[in-house]
Amino acid sequence: MKKDISITINGEIYEQSVPIRLLLVDFIRDVAGLTGTHVGCTFEGVCGACTVQVDGEAVKSCLMLAVQADGHKITTIEGLAVNGKLHPLQKAFNDHHALQCGFCSAGILMNIAEFVRTNRKSSDDEIRNALIGNLCRCTGYAHIVDAIREVAGEPASIGAAHRRNQEPTR
Amino acid sequence: MYPAVIDSYDAPTSVQEALQAFAQRGNDCHFIAGGQSLMQAIKARVISPKSLIDLQHVAELNGIEYKQGAVRIGAMTRYRDIAADERLDGAFQALRDAASHVGDRQVRNRGTIGGSLCWNYIAACMPPTCIGIGASLDLVSKTGKRSLRAEEFLQGPLETARGDDEIVVAVTLPAPRQSCGSAYKKWGLVTDALPVAGVCAFIERGDDGRCELARLAVGGLATGPRRAKTGEKALIGVSATDASAISEAAETAAASTETQSDMWADAEYRKRLIATLARQVITSAFARATRGKHS
Repeated sequence: MKKDISITINGEIYEQSVPIRLLLVDFIRDVAGLTGTHVGCTFEGVCGACTVQVDGEAVKSCLMLAVQADGHKITTIEGLAVNGKLHPLQKAFNDHHALQCGFCSAGILMNIAEFVRTNRKSSDDEIRNALIGNLCRCTGYAHIVDAIREVAGEPASIGAAHRRNQEPTR
Repeated sequence: MYPAVIDSYDAPTSVQEALQAFAQRGNDCHFIAGGQSLMQAIKARVISPKSLIDLQHVAELNGIEYKQGAVRIGAMTRYRDIAADERLDGAFQALRDAASHVGDRQVRNRGTIGGSLCWNYIAACMPPTCIGIGASLDLVSKTGKRSLRAEEFLQGPLETARGDDEIVVAVTLPAPRQSCGSAYKKWGLVTDALPVAGVCAFIERGDDGRCELARLAVGGLATGPRRAKTGEKALIGVSATDASAISEAAETAAASTETQSDMWADAEYRKRLIATLARQVITSAFARATRGKHS
């Protein structure tokens, strides 16, 4: 019924005896107390709000049992900023008003943080394709795509964004 | 939604260990691969396994091997790895077409070819694709090994020839004889959705460039994935540039396929989808069958 597991979340080791049926998302939220990872659709695995990274790869934590994550390294939204410095995507989301209600943001950021790591140059089509597994009920996809483009877009637009960020505020 | 109580969980590191664990756990025991379908069913309590045997750490089930043109895809190989493997291009490119559009990035990061075939969901892409490209499945149990052609293994939706105590260890593809190409395409209500219909075509071209062997497989059917053999026959002797003969074969394939009406498409509309998709994948498969003399 229960099993002893050890999961590293954002660099911190959690050793617990958990029911086998406990979902990874519930381990993250209820055992580790990291509530930045959200639960949206609750079971079909269609909304992507619970997306976290397992060993650096984006997965839906509602479609995994906590026991399956035994020995793995998890990164959640709480671990995306390093030493208080926002991930470039987080900053871009802020700059482009891509959060809106914020419910889907954590899942999108954890999915796309992996996407931008492996896809430096991406067209808008590729960016939208990468977002298929994440639903935004505010339907604010235009702002979300704008923000992602700033980090994962063609080199020209990255350059422009970078220059914009370098300019002193007037 | 929350799973019912699960009594035991094993994470073996070899096929032998996995088979032993199954023998010990007995009834209501399930193997779990990537879990992208199975976890939905467990959470919805469509199934309530008492024991789970997780195959994620069985290294021998993972990876794609090439030997003199033949391909062996470990059952636990994920969609993301199939989608990225350019060595499949040409004869087995349909696998990449299918794998690169299953679900979404997150699903492709965990979902596996073996898991999809064992679940055989009505709208899954791997079943018709594997039938189309002429794949076989290697199965292992405590009592022995056997190999089944995909079309023998895959039965009605959610049904396969696998015994409860059998593990699918690999999907194997015979070395293509000459110029072969394949393609898969699906149509769903939104981009990359579970398809209403999906069609896979495999074309082998002779020295004169004409089709010598064809396989067409259709998914999204209440009967389970099926070959459209009258459509295949209509392709024999057809050349890549003969658009009207290709269209005719596609129409024949659709006309001879038994389709159902459901909330996504009525039977007649499904036939239109199959005809259109078949024309497109046959055309792509011809174009991809350029290895050797036609390159």
